[in-house]
Amino acid sequence: MLARLRKPWPDVRAERMLGAVSCLLAVLVVGMVVFVAIHAWPTFSHNGLGWLGSGETPETSFEKMQATSVNPPPSAYHLRAWPLLYGTLLTTVVSVACAFVVSLFASIFIVELAPERLRRLTIPVIRLLASVPSVVYGLLGVLVLVPFVGNHLVTASEKASVANTIELTGAGLLVTVVILTVMIAPIMIALTCEALASVPSSWREGAIALGLNPLRAILAVTVRAARPAIVAAAVLASARALGEAIMISMVSGGRAFKPNLDHGLLIFLYSPLRTFASTIVDFREGISAPALGSSLYAIALLMLLGGFVLSVCGYLIKLPLRKYQVRG
Amino acid sequence: MQRLRRISVALAVAGVLGVAAPAAANAVTTVTISGATASYPLVNLLAQKYVKLHPGKVKFKIAQGGAQVGINDVAAGRVTIGDVSRDPLLSDPAGLVFYPIAKYGICVITNKSDALANLTSSQLVNIFTGKTRSWSGIPGASASGTIDVVSRTSVAGVLTNFQTLLLEGKKVFSAASEQSSEGLMRQAVENDPNAIGFVSNYQSDKGSVHAVNISGVACNRSTVTSGTYPGVARFYEVTKGKATGAASAFIGWIRASSAARKIISTQWVPVT
Repeated sequence: MLARLRKPWPDVRAERMLGAVSCLLAVLVVGMVVFVAIHAWPTFSHNGLGWLGSGETPETSFEKMQATSVNPPPSAYHLRAWPLLYGTLLTTVVSVACAFVVSLFASIFIVELAPERLRRLTIPVIRLLASVPSVVYGLLGVLVLVPFVGNHLVTASEKASVANTIELTGAGLLVTVVILTVMIAPIMIALTCEALASVPSSWREGAIALGLNPLRAILAVTVRAARPAIVAAAVLASARALGEAIMISMVSGGRAFKPNLDHGLLIFLYSPLRTFASTIVDFREGISAPALGSSLYAIALLMLLGGFVLSVCGYLIKLPLRKYQVRG
Repeated sequence: MQRLRRISVALAVAGVLGVAAPAAANAVTTVTISGATASYPLVNLLAQKYVKLHPGKVKFKIAQGGAQVGINDVAAGRVTIGDVSRDPLLSDPAGLVFYPIAKYGICVITNKSDALANLTSSQLVNIFTGKTRSWSGIPGASASGTIDVVSRTSVAGVLTNFQTLLLEGKKVFSAASEQSSEGLMRQAVENDPNAIGFVSNYQSDKGSVHAVNISGVACNRSTVTSGTYPGVARFYEVTKGKATGAASAFIGWIRASSAARKIISTQWVPVT
């Protein structure tokens, strides 16, 4: 029977099999979204658009939700998730911006300037870095970075100045963004390298022949031509940053505080925060309390939608590349 | 056609085996348990011993997930026994029976460099409710500067117990950083010379953090046994209605037999 399977399949059967597998995947994705949406519905219907507003801190709301019984009254669903959304957007935007700069210059160096031997070494190393599990980064954060920031960078007077609103223990925006940047930069470098390498070298050579110096030629021709692919790489990397949960849960300080510049840049950087994904990790044990469960599903739904939007954006941004016949 | 027949024969054989296996195992009763992560090590040890003493009679399937998970699972009939690390609450579903199986002390911990010997009850409340924000306001503390209060996320049963038993029912103030597990809590206190927190199993953390006396009473096994320590909480086995059959036998064995008491006494305290 196995021997029969090993024989080449007729085209029609192979087509049907593969078609069935891809249809199954599509059905799974749709089913998942529907499942999450059904569970998320109660919290949205009770809160309306106010769900995204600010007000009572999410921690207080979560605590009240757990105290309710099996059939909670509508008021038990009260949640104002703006601090969580703010934390998610802040960490994602800042870390993608940092990683963008780093990865752009690193890729230019690797593709255009690095000696062949170094290039052969760096590309596999970067691939390896991109596959490090996030919990490893989380551990490094908890054991090394958080104590370092907490004990050496944060000063006693900074701590005392905000003692009644937040605690500066080292865990917070700074450590989160640094680790997140390290996590997503390898993906961006790998994708950007591919994009830069796919630009025909004759274009750059032509530019040099016309009198540009090599660096100008790279920036004006190679990078310019690959621009959509570079932006698409950033968009895909931000999808990873958006979904990062366990690492952020470990190093973000666990408070849905909205970091702000009221007390200066340093305190802004040390402020604790909570993101959508880390909230799900932190409160997963309470998922069987109906109101809390529904709130967590609502967060999951928003993250799913955010992920979809980002990946569609990544696709759309790369479209213009086709007219140059450049693969990205 | 031939292949179709072979497949159907294979399916039939698999089906018979699938039915036969549980039928053969019918003599062994399976007790399913889910709930508190804090009591999991204890219940796991007890179940292993129980199986050894009653070979071929009973089998255990133990899952973790948190006290609330245990409550909900047992109320919905998904498991035979729910493990719970906190006292019964008003919001718990009706009809559940709580059987206390062991006592444990919730110890208040500080960084090892902070050789704080004692906190009075009111000092403790002031620290955790955010009234006292500086170590200079606490006589005997060798740390200086702002107090870093470390708490747990509100889903933790140990936080509920801590607030009822040691904070006079008051809530930990809202600026305290929240850790999602006891391990992260211990790590946060171990790393930060200004930190103060609380753990349910100090026995396993000894050496890495420092336990503070509360109103002159140390947090250890003998004070928990005698009940002089104020932060004594209980682990419960919870059943829907009165425990029956294998569950009742197991719970009865935990509460009465000397073998079970011996296991409980390794890190916890038996309920007298």
